[in-house]
Amino acid sequence: MNERESLFRRLSAACGERGAAVEEPLPGGAPTAPEGDRVALFAKTFTAAGGVLLRGPVEKALSDLGEMLRSEGVTALFFPEDDAAAREIAEALVPFGPFNLTTGAEVRGGSAAVTAGFRAAEAAIAETGTIVETSAGGKTLLPGLIADVHVSIVPAASVVARMEEALAAFTEDPPRNISFLSGPSKTADIEQTLTVGAHGPKKAIALMVG
Amino acid sequence: MELNANAFGRNARKALLDKTLQEALGRTTGRFQAHRDAAVAALPEFEATRERASRIKGDVLDHLDTYLARFIEEAEKRGTIVHVARDAAQAREIAARIAWEEGITLAVKSKSMASEEVSFNEALQGAGVTVVESDLGEFIIQLAGEAPSHIIAPAVHKTREEISLLFERHLGEPRTDSIPELVGMARKHLRAKFLSAGMGVSGGNFLVADTGSVVLVTNEGNGRMGTVLPRVHLAVVGIEKVIPRMADLPTFLRLLPRSASGQVISSYVSIVTGTRRAGDPEGPERMHLLLLDCGRSAILEGKYREILKCIRCAACLNSCPVYQSVGGHAYGWVYSGPIGAVLTPLLVGLPEAAALPDASTLCGACADVCPVKIPLPDFLLELRSDAREQGLKTPGEIAAMKGYAGVMKRAGLLEAIERIAGVLGQFFTKGKGISGLPYPFSGWTERRDFPAPAAEPFRKQWKIKRGVTR
Repeated sequence: MNERESLFRRLSAACGERGAAVEEPLPGGAPTAPEGDRVALFAKTFTAAGGVLLRGPVEKALSDLGEMLRSEGVTALFFPEDDAAAREIAEALVPFGPFNLTTGAEVRGGSAAVTAGFRAAEAAIAETGTIVETSAGGKTLLPGLIADVHVSIVPAASVVARMEEALAAFTEDPPRNISFLSGPSKTADIEQTLTVGAHGPKKAIALMVG
Repeated sequence: MELNANAFGRNARKALLDKTLQEALGRTTGRFQAHRDAAVAALPEFEATRERASRIKGDVLDHLDTYLARFIEEAEKRGTIVHVARDAAQAREIAARIAWEEGITLAVKSKSMASEEVSFNEALQGAGVTVVESDLGEFIIQLAGEAPSHIIAPAVHKTREEISLLFERHLGEPRTDSIPELVGMARKHLRAKFLSAGMGVSGGNFLVADTGSVVLVTNEGNGRMGTVLPRVHLAVVGIEKVIPRMADLPTFLRLLPRSASGQVISSYVSIVTGTRRAGDPEGPERMHLLLLDCGRSAILEGKYREILKCIRCAACLNSCPVYQSVGGHAYGWVYSGPIGAVLTPLLVGLPEAAALPDASTLCGACADVCPVKIPLPDFLLELRSDAREQGLKTPGEIAAMKGYAGVMKRAGLLEAIERIAGVLGQFFTKGKGISGLPYPFSGWTERRDFPAPAAEPFRKQWKIKRGVTR
């Protein structure tokens, strides 16, 4: 008998006689869907999580973003080759630079330049202030993983009320990686002092479009 | 991790005299508690969510064989290689074999309490693998050669000066008293490790049965790095971490960060399923999952089954007056606070940790905050009784408890003693506690001070307060 069979024998004996397992999710799981504007609620929760939300007229949002990136010392703008939305924004930011554009492998290798990583988000969650980015369809996670600043491009129509709605798309066959990103990378491991940029981005920016 | 639980009394005394630790504890537990309370108050559905989570976990434990089998089937379908370890020795052997077969020389590890149970790092190091802890707190205490003192804040006992000294000595960094600079040094050092490590090792907060997913909850993003960048991902997880379905995950995500640190959600939640798919630009080519029994199936069989509902939030630590006073190291093993006082004896055997169930005041604060409603004080009391039945208490302790019970049951005798004690006590203790009583009461005062008796006994004060005069 191998270890796995032996484990299941122990478990079955330990569980003993019992009724049937609950086959459906228990009712009443999610909190009442928030009333009113999901985008407005997301703005509140994302900001509370330490993120920065930019919305409104494109020209104004771009110049604000450019200024923000410069003040963070960003010199390189990184976007995935096949991400049209990210490319469009990154290219539109060049006049606000000086910024270099890159889609390249030097970022993965640990580039010395301060980098902003751009990516189109798949969804955003109003309840928690969360950006959802996944590897579905061969998408890369690197812009939100290894860049110093992460800029997510979030279509307003993709904002859902609660976590349940965001996960509903993945209950059948999830991709390798579903990431919930809620604000910058944080740590309070030294003297309980909240500090950003432990491993991931020091700044998390959501650019709301549409 | 080396077991030293029965030395709780000695460890606690040492901790109480440790000034740095006392300052750190004062700074931490109160803040965690305040944040937790505020976050819970802000979610009107918290109680209902808690109730639901407790019921889901109850269903899982009643059918752990079914749900675990479902989880394994789904995980394997998506390329995960599942291993099962009955005990710590087997877990170490499997981990070392995985590292050897995958040709690993450097592994980056994110936080996993389960891996501490089996001394995972020693196993890999024995197989010639360098293991770098990547959670900042764990990294700091790894440099210091110590053990974690808090489930979610492992380096809570270290000051910035001590940390800067460690970084100077081990990383060659200049001294600084700036916390952001210290964080930046660790980031730079660990980033290089993430980019060159062959294997990322993680724990797992939840295992989702209907999809075969492993869920990781972190704030720093290290769990995320280690499960995306290296070629191999190894997750080390206890068998009780299964939840039935993806649709149940939000319930637990609403409870864990709120209970742990008072956050609505942690910065990162990673749901990872199997290996990288065809066409994925990154993600591990190989995914191993090491499932640990290590005493869990035995717990499942007995009266303490519900302890396996625990989601390791540490709210019970922060709320516990004993933990607040002595910190995590005093508990002498991986888990501390009320959860440690129950789980440690159950996992390592009561004779090895009989001192821990006594390390509580039974005030009930832990049960009040537990997000999955584990009856921790009941379990602590039950374990004390088990310890006595197994003859694990000293005769002095038993005699003291018997004498105490005998007196408490006789009102007249109690009153007489109270009067005498009140007079003598005021005279001898000057209102402070009594730290040494003769046998058999020394069973009590060996490890705690007995409060000085009041000049007027409580029952007399009570009567006066209610206007009853004699």
